[in-house]
Amino acid sequence: MSLNVVKNATCTFCGCVCDDIELHADDERIVETKRACSLGESWFKNHTAERLYPDALIDGKPATVDEAVEAAADYLYQANMPLVYGLSNVTCEAQREAVSLAETIGGVIDSHTSL
Amino acid sequence: MTCTLGEVKNRADFIIYWGGNPAECHPRHFTKYTIMQKGKFVPNRKARTMVLVDIRETPSAKASDIFLQITPGKDFEVITTLRALVKGQRVNLDLVAETGLTIEQLQDLVDRMKKARFGVLFFGMGLSMTRGKHMNSAAVLALAAEMNAFTKFVAMPMRGHGNVTGADVVLRYTTGYPFGINMCRGYPRFNPGEFSTVDLLVRGDNDAALILGADPGATMPQPGIDHLARIPTIVLDPKVTHTSRLSRVHITTAATGISAPGTVYRMDEIPLPLRPPLKSPYPSDEEVIRRIHQAVAKRPGWRPTLNGKAMR
Repeated sequence: MSLNVVKNATCTFCGCVCDDIELHADDERIVETKRACSLGESWFKNHTAERLYPDALIDGKPATVDEAVEAAADYLYQANMPLVYGLSNVTCEAQREAVSLAETIGGVIDSHTSL
Repeated sequence: MTCTLGEVKNRADFIIYWGGNPAECHPRHFTKYTIMQKGKFVPNRKARTMVLVDIRETPSAKASDIFLQITPGKDFEVITTLRALVKGQRVNLDLVAETGLTIEQLQDLVDRMKKARFGVLFFGMGLSMTRGKHMNSAAVLALAAEMNAFTKFVAMPMRGHGNVTGADVVLRYTTGYPFGINMCRGYPRFNPGEFSTVDLLVRGDNDAALILGADPGATMPQPGIDHLARIPTIVLDPKVTHTSRLSRVHITTAATGISAPGTVYRMDEIPLPLRPPLKSPYPSDEEVIRRIHQAVAKRPGWRPTLNGKAMR
């Protein structure tokens, strides 16, 4: 079986953001993490492309993404002071979308920095 | 006053780690950027001096030339004493004794700092999250700034989670503030302590929450977690987390950098592209937030209110 080799991959586990990692992956999982530290190796190997979880959960019951998006929009729209929190392990592109959403719903936006 | 890690690698001959344990928390920091690297102007390990300041002897102490063990909660006092010694001012020896260090140790540190060609002070959560909090960070930044009267000296925070630096940068260039921003009046307002998450949740101010790229259900103080369970909480995460279990809505998303592409900032504010090797069956965080935003935008327009009246 041929492996997909990605050179100069970027690890987002800690703030070092090492961008010299060589990853070998099959269709579902990463099998080799050259130059990654022990934290980076477990980070890459712990996330797979398998379908381990339901697409979405509403009140703990499996739901479709469409239903969950509508439910989320309802809750955020109805709230007077919604909170958008986290932002640490997402991309800058996702963070920009989150700022835009926070502005539309008139909410508070905050990250791990404030802890 | 800060710099990039590339400058540290090529120039820094005096490195202080304060309240951090890079050997265990940032394992490649030593080898990629600081003591173990061959720099353009620092040829080898012997050309660099590394000082570790912490409250206990962590595995990072083995890599240090000088280890200074201070009394827990006395960081601010130590920094203030150093600032006085840098300026040649008198210090109270009784107060110095409480820090767990001797005046000779502190004077030696100041002498070495002044003799350095390029000094850098990395500070971790052991400094910024303990007694004194942001006052400690401010004191360290002031110390680094004042050292520039004698030599080149910079300070840099050791950021933990992947893209927390990116969150600061993105919030800064979109709203003008780095974190804890309230837009409920339709324009951004910044006030740490009032609009920071722990304070908001412990006071019970929020009536809904959207959590992404974090698991506060595992890390927040308990009264904050209790409030997240009380209000409608929405979680976006590649896994079903502690927070997902107390939430009303969970949406599974692709893992950043593993199956979702994008940009991430390193701790020295250098943006780096991601090269994900896998294809996820789940949508990315970016796509899900955009879809929630589109669904919210379909509803009637919202206007900021003050005491129940629409604001003009």
